[in-house]
Parts: sequence; C-alpha cells; structure tokens
Amino acid sequence: MFLGRVTGSVWSTVKWPAAKGLKLLLVRPYRLSDLPPTVAGAAATNEPLDDLVVCADLLDAGVGDDVLVAFGHAARVAVAGALGPGQKPDAPIDAAVVAVVDRVELESERGARR
Amino acid sequence: MIRGTIIGNVWATRQAPGLAGRKLVLVAARDADGRASGRVVVAVDTLDAGAGDDVTVAFGSGARNVVAAAAGPDNRDLLCDAAVAAIVEGAG
Repeated sequence: MFLGRVTGSVWSTVKWPAAKGLKLLLVRPYRLSDLPPTVAGAAATNEPLDDLVVCADLLDAGVGDDVLVAFGHAARVAVAGALGPGQKPDAPIDAAVVAVVDRVELESERGARR
Repeated sequence: MIRGTIIGNVWATRQAPGLAGRKLVLVAARDADGRASGRVVVAVDTLDAGAGDDVTVAFGSGARNVVAAAAGPDNRDLLCDAAVAAIVEGAG
C-alpha cells in the first residue's frame, strides 16, 4: 500500500465490461521529501516524483483527499466486496483506494495532523 | 521484501471492510547503502513495531501469509498487499 493525494479523476466510455461503473481516480504517491524535514531522512532526499497512479475508488474520495491505495490482488479484493468460498475477485484493475486517511502521526511530531 | 524504517502511523475511519482493525504504519524504504531511498510505503503491522524501528516489509501473497496466521490456509480474501514481516536487529 502507499499513501497518496487524489489529484483528479479519469473517465472513459470504451472499456472492459467488468470495469463499467468503477470510478477511477488519479493519485500522486507521497515521497519522503513531501513529509516535514523533521522526519528522519526526509530532507536528505530530493528525488523526482513517481508516476501518478490510476486507482478504482469505492469510498467516494475526492480531489485533495489523502488516501491509502492497495495494489494487485488486495485491490481486487477491495473492489469485490463479499466473496463466496473459492470465488476469485475478477475486477480488471490492479490498484484501488482502500482508505480515506483521517490522520497521519509522524515520529517527529506526535499528535500533529498533516 | 524491502527493508525500511517506521516513521509514523496512519488512521482512517472511511476504509474498505477488509482493512478494519488493522494497525497501519508508514515505512521509509532504504536503498543499498542503508539510506532512505525516498519511497514511502504503508504496511499492516502485526508485530507491534514502533516508530524508529528498522523492519522488513513483505508484499503481495507474502504479506497475506504474514497476516494469515489467524485466517488459516485460505487467505485469498484478505485485503493486504504489504505487511511488516520482521523487526531487524542487524544487517551487514
């Protein structure tokens, strides 16, 4: 999983039928350098940003929200909801929003909210 | 797996049902020289690791196996793609 901020959304009309109705968001992953410099190592890195990640969203996250995104099988499980025994999650996705973050407590600033 | 340092915790009330009750930690990954690489991941923590701890994080099916002790052999419906697999004491 990673922590990221929702920067926008993506929509399409031509898509795999099983993807119909899935809302897709653009999420920018946080890098260590995005965190306050008081976090150990945060100021020392100044690397280029990762690619934006396109994620399925069932939690109704919006632009500006901080979210957790899961990859792979976990993303399909999140989108599938309740699965029967032996049933495989079959959504044609590999990333999904699994939580809308309330609070991040960093080692250097206990109790503070970003 | 990667090796990293725990730099904080994450809380969310609006979350996928499979994530309920999981302790989530922010881990800053380390590169080959042991320095922070800049990448930050969020992992499920079942080992009660704390801020500043040096840990290994397993991904994918390996992460489900870390969390699956209680879930039994069929853990394919677990919502987990990253988990703290060990608290590191030394590395050379």
